[in-house]
Amino acid sequence: MPERKTNFSYIRARIIFSALVAFLLFLPSCATAPPTRDTIVLLPDASGKIGSIIVYSGGIEVRLYKKGHAVTVEEGSPPSTPFLMTTDEIISLAGPAIDAHPPHPTQYVLYFEYDSDELTKNSMILFNGIIRTAKNNNPVRINIAGHTDTVGNHEYNLQLSYKRAKAVASLLSAQGVDTSVIYVTYYGKEIPLIKTGDQVHEPRNRRTEVTIR
Amino acid sequence: MKHALSIAILVALLCIFQLAPVSASDKSIGFVQSVSGEAYIHRGGAKISADTGTQLHVGDTLSTGSDGSMGVVFSDESSASMGPNSNFVINKFEFSPNEGKFGVLIRITKGTFTYLTGLIGKLSPESARFETPTSTIGIRGTHFLINVEEPVTSQ
Repeated sequence: MPERKTNFSYIRARIIFSALVAFLLFLPSCATAPPTRDTIVLLPDASGKIGSIIVYSGGIEVRLYKKGHAVTVEEGSPPSTPFLMTTDEIISLAGPAIDAHPPHPTQYVLYFEYDSDELTKNSMILFNGIIRTAKNNNPVRINIAGHTDTVGNHEYNLQLSYKRAKAVASLLSAQGVDTSVIYVTYYGKEIPLIKTGDQVHEPRNRRTEVTIR
Repeated sequence: MKHALSIAILVALLCIFQLAPVSASDKSIGFVQSVSGEAYIHRGGAKISADTGTQLHVGDTLSTGSDGSMGVVFSDESSASMGPNSNFVINKFEFSPNEGKFGVLIRITKGTFTYLTGLIGKLSPESARFETPTSTIGIRGTHFLINVEEPVTSQ
């Protein structure tokens, strides 16, 4: 995928999703004579990682797992044998769609004291960077997601994660960030950053993830 | 007479069942990040001009004109885009980790479409499905890359 220009300052992402998959579909206009033929291409994510997809048609499954790996499919038939498309070919097929794809967001992880909605000292320092990004880049959306470690029960942690997300939202609005773009979500202990067993103290899971787009 | 009554009850039930999905789809499941040229959201018979920040609901159809393109972000931080003369429908989008519920069904009927997975791709990749007029596409975790094998083809 080509480097895209964005008005976001590129502070390196601090959350890396482990299983990103990017792909492209190209369907020819219905005006052309049938049968329709679709093209499906696997793309790398912003960090260059390649996922994997399955294309199923005509009773046959084909797996795409390499950069630029593509198949074409005609109605009622199995997918073609996978082939590789060059970046130029991909851009000429679907340049405008690729350019329209939302740029990689700026993401921050803020950590909290144990069983508390108070930020750690280091995260308080990082918070100043968030304020700058939130104010200067005119974001469409600031998503604040609260999380906990696995100590305590499901309900309690949902509440704690909600308090953490709300605390960050309040700090941002106190700094004059436009509240109409702020969205708060909370997931308790359901999506740990570091996988642990249940009832395990893990400071890196006591967090709020702030995604600015 | 009895018969007419049971039909009336049946009709009433149908109305209730028809109402239920509408209220369920009121919840926002994403938003428009960027728009260029003609781009619309079709919702319950209405054609809304898409704009930056416009909320997306389950059941929405997104479309673009000959000069249009649009980028959207879903609630699981996955993102999608479409080029000119394109059309896709969000038949299903559920991201509720607190209840362990996940599901995506997006039907692409025309044009170009890109998708980048988010948390559903990480937590429950098998629950996401994309359909085109010719095929169905599913997401697999990167762990499949370790067992690299020649794909099964028709040849």
